[in-house]
Amino acid sequence: MGSYLLKRVASLIPILFGISVLVFTILHLVPGDPASIMLGTNATPEAIAALNKSMGLDQPLLSQYMSWITGMLQGNFGVSVHTGEDILPQILKRFAITLQLTVLGVLIGWALAIPFGILSAIRAHSKTDIVVRVATLLGISVPNFAIGTLLLLGFSLYFGWFPPIDVVSFWEDPVEAFKVFILPATTMGIVVAAGVMRMTRSAFLETMDKDFIRTARAKGNSQWTIVMGHAFRNSSIPIVTIAGMQIGYLLGGSVIVEQLFSIPGLGQYILEGIYQRDYPVVQGGVLFVALVFVLVNLLIDLIYTWIDPRIKY
Amino acid sequence: MKKRVLAGFFLSLSLMLSACSGGGTAPADQAKPKDGQAATAKTELIVAAEQEPVGYDPHKVPAASSVRVYALIYDSLTKLDENMEIVPNLAEKWEIAPDGKTITMFLHAGVKFHNGKDMTAEDVKYSFERILNPDTGAIAKSYFSSVESIEAKDATTVVFKLKNADAAFVANTASAYASIVPAGSTDLTKEAIGTGPFKLEKAESGQYVLLKKNADYFNKDLPKVETIKFQIMKDEAERLAAMRSGKIDVSVISADSAKLLEGKPGVQVKNYQSLEYSYLGINVNKKPFDNPKVREAISYAVDRNQIVQTVWKGEAALTGPIAPALTNWAVDTASYPSYKTDVEKAKALLAEAGFPNGFETQIETAATYPDMVETAQVIQQQLKAIGINAKINQLEWGNYIDTWKSKDMNLMVGRNTSGVDADRSMRFFFASTGSANVWNYANPAYDELVAKALSTVDQAERKKLYEEAQMMLVQDAPNLFLASPKNYYAVRDNIDFTPTAAGEVYSLIKTSIK
Repeated sequence: MGSYLLKRVASLIPILFGISVLVFTILHLVPGDPASIMLGTNATPEAIAALNKSMGLDQPLLSQYMSWITGMLQGNFGVSVHTGEDILPQILKRFAITLQLTVLGVLIGWALAIPFGILSAIRAHSKTDIVVRVATLLGISVPNFAIGTLLLLGFSLYFGWFPPIDVVSFWEDPVEAFKVFILPATTMGIVVAAGVMRMTRSAFLETMDKDFIRTARAKGNSQWTIVMGHAFRNSSIPIVTIAGMQIGYLLGGSVIVEQLFSIPGLGQYILEGIYQRDYPVVQGGVLFVALVFVLVNLLIDLIYTWIDPRIKY
Repeated sequence: MKKRVLAGFFLSLSLMLSACSGGGTAPADQAKPKDGQAATAKTELIVAAEQEPVGYDPHKVPAASSVRVYALIYDSLTKLDENMEIVPNLAEKWEIAPDGKTITMFLHAGVKFHNGKDMTAEDVKYSFERILNPDTGAIAKSYFSSVESIEAKDATTVVFKLKNADAAFVANTASAYASIVPAGSTDLTKEAIGTGPFKLEKAESGQYVLLKKNADYFNKDLPKVETIKFQIMKDEAERLAAMRSGKIDVSVISADSAKLLEGKPGVQVKNYQSLEYSYLGINVNKKPFDNPKVREAISYAVDRNQIVQTVWKGEAALTGPIAPALTNWAVDTASYPSYKTDVEKAKALLAEAGFPNGFETQIETAATYPDMVETAQVIQQQLKAIGINAKINQLEWGNYIDTWKSKDMNLMVGRNTSGVDADRSMRFFFASTGSANVWNYANPAYDELVAKALSTVDQAERKKLYEEAQMMLVQDAPNLFLASPKNYYAVRDNIDFTPTAAGEVYSLIKTSIK
């Protein structure tokens, strides 16, 4: 176990290095540079040159990469070329917001998905099952910007309620934070639920066909005991896998939901960086997201061993 | 044990679920008292910001999202009023020597920076020198290229010596890019200390920018609100919902949303004729556009009225090289012959140029701006009528700017903003040395005309020269000037805010809460 962990953490180094090269190259290949984006059609060539020089963008690419990566290795993410703000504190602050949104969104999603997924599996092909499956299909097919806009308009027009416009954290003011995050998290949750529900249903269907379930039934156990005591744990590996993937993605920032509800999360920060060609912001942001994604995956792998003790690394 | 854990898990899940489903109504009740409180003693004006500001250095940052904020923090020597006239600001008055080469600005006495220091002629000298220093990379450097030296004669008198007469000089000092900053300030990204009506209180990245009233503002009657909060809301649907539920007071909206909000309780929709105009740029170096007949044919084929109707739903004005809102300078579009669409004439011109069957070409446009895409589509249809088959390339903004800079496009749809003075619309965009002349347009007669107009101090004489230059541009057609749209604001009923072409800042300073 210990050596496995060590190996996994060590494998982070080549992964992150590869990503750093990739994101740096792609970003600098994209047409446009911060100065001309900033100056637009107001630009004079000398103004662009002066601005690029002040941002250090007149240096050769390789030396730009070297100075960036050297800084990163020392934990220095650099500053935004536009605002001069330190990037790391911004990333952490915005990640904290994305994290809260994701946790609430995922909890809402699971709260919908798991009970209904199980119900749908143990009553396969019944009316309940059909309703649940149609709802799932809707959740998958309707894009989240549509769900979000409908929620926003619905609440503001029919209930006269609009989420607070200043974002606060759960540890500052839980009630206010709940009001801030509930609509975007529900939007996120509906999409999450659809995926998890399908996986829950199929995993349970498969498990419920297994011999040990027949044995449990033959012993005269109640349906509840069979489902909760025997089938649940044995079905959870695929569910945990898909849930882990979703969390990984969502922690990278759900750009559309953040944009729609003006949640200043990590996704919006990176997207704005891309529009503005704020190279250090995008590079630092993407690398951070990659790190989070890899760590979440590692965590999921560790959870497998807890769910199924037969899995050993 | 296992059972208990699982049961607990489900219990908490179901609690979550019930909490969530009740979420819509519970917070609404809790929100009410707060709203009530705000209604009785509202001193904060909340303005929606569609984009996040990207820094507050007035000399370096041209982004509109930043200008609308820093122009409230800093002052310039002069400013524009709602009739687009230049009026005093930090400069009480000014004198122009008969040869036009010496301009003396007399400053308001007793103006203080937000840090309590007096604003003097030294600060003005420093600000202009900072703008003119090539290392600064200031946007306004090209505006003041005629400056030879700046002298602070006494605490309230600044003398600008010019290399040549520059009739646009005073108008250019009204630009927010020519804001007066404290002498000695170098890094204006971190702190913003101006003389303006508001102080920068707090900027919360991704969320809001909070400005607080400057109690020592030199105009004692202004501003009328205690704080202005620019709330960052990038999504138009969100801004509309927030506007209707009274969470924000003032917001820029699109023409389409203006129609939606019209007549809704609590909200007023206001508009003004903007200084912007859309154009179809033509690369006069590229075949077949190097032939003036081809450009003239295109000019006759494009129905500008249809663009006004289709793209702007009728809420725009026809425009020449200078936007019609600049009533002092703009030529009446009725005097341009090619503005009366004539497909037959266009076909004949094209045949004369050797393209009786038309040709294939491309129109570049920015995908970021729906109006530009729609304009390109309308033009594509109109050109088809004379046999020109144009393919539309929708470009991401960065890519678009690169193409614009390349001077190698064929046709390109874009938008310009007329400066305060005619010189910018004419020289900057179309003189052969103009930085924004990416169309390779080089007409010595035109260059001479606009150079002469710039050095002519007599304004009536100047106006005549610019009229001649405008006629010449429309005839030569390096650009087709299409439509100058109205801009829309949604404003809550209890807010006294009237937008004008003089800019949002001019209106915000005077805004009060009823």
